[in-house]
Amino acid sequence: MIEGVWLWIAFLLLGATTLITRGSFIVIGERGSLPPVLQRALRYAPAAALSALVVPDLLLVQGDLQPFNPKLFAGLVVIAIALRWRNPWLPFILGMGALWAARFFAGPA
Amino acid sequence: MNPAFRAGAEAGLRAFIPLSVGFIPWAIVTGIAMRAIGMDALESMGMSLLVFAATAQFGALPLIASGAPLWLIFVTGMVLNLRFVIFSAAIAPALHEQSLARRLVGGFLLTDAAFAVLGPGLAGARDPAWRWGYYLVPSLYGWLLWQGFVLVGVLGAGFFPRDWSLEFMGTIALMVMVVPMVRSQPMLVAALTGGLGAVFLRDLPLRLGLFAAILLGIAAGFAAEHWRRKETAE
Repeated sequence: MIEGVWLWIAFLLLGATTLITRGSFIVIGERGSLPPVLQRALRYAPAAALSALVVPDLLLVQGDLQPFNPKLFAGLVVIAIALRWRNPWLPFILGMGALWAARFFAGPA
Repeated sequence: MNPAFRAGAEAGLRAFIPLSVGFIPWAIVTGIAMRAIGMDALESMGMSLLVFAATAQFGALPLIASGAPLWLIFVTGMVLNLRFVIFSAAIAPALHEQSLARRLVGGFLLTDAAFAVLGPGLAGARDPAWRWGYYLVPSLYGWLLWQGFVLVGVLGAGFFPRDWSLEFMGTIALMVMVVPMVRSQPMLVAALTGGLGAVFLRDLPLRLGLFAAILLGIAAGFAAEHWRRKETAE
């Protein structure tokens, strides 16, 4: 884990990304605008980025591809819930429940 | 207080408060997730106050936990926050009469919820003071609510045993954010390419695999949109 001063530098860098992106046009004013092609491409950035963070956690166990594991099972439960209901608590409650149940029945992974 | 500002603030709060209840679990989970990777309470609150962007925070946690290089943390934060450039462009005309200091504050407080809930009301309003109240006061309220419940999560995290794998709640939160985005075929292509790309490119040096996977995902989504458009045109 990143620790001490380096951790705070990481926070400052992340805070800068918040201010740069959110502030961009609000701070510059109305002078600039993004080219439409770039705007269209950028619409895919959040989905690609979020998925790139999630999928490895669901498919890898200690760095090895191991698709049948409790996290993938819990992940599929979460996706099914999120597709069906808007309740903000349910995915957390049932997702963690599915993870613990799968660990209990299948052994830790 | 300027009466237009006050009227704007009241209208903004009326629109914003019902939805804001949805932040509460996210904020608590964000607090717990930061503690779960080993940050102390002060570091966790510091991160929350400085970053104030749940997606970027969750995205950065696995990188911080595994000791990734700082440039990669910055790039990941930029990518996860990129959508705000588009929101910022949409909100900018409503705030352009305000001073630079106010626009900096307004920019920092621009969340997905503020954009989604307040954006439409801002677009139709004439009075700059009304618009500033309509945008600023609900955004500040959202900020306070968020930080308050992050603190609840940060302080409550100690009561949960480590072997409960509560850090998985961070992954759940990311999934809950990505599922509603994947409403079209190109978006699904982008998400699947990004996700599987990150798995198969994981052995690239300097964790470049993650960045490459995100770029591949964006390119794949854009290409899928292009091909689909061609198909419908024929």
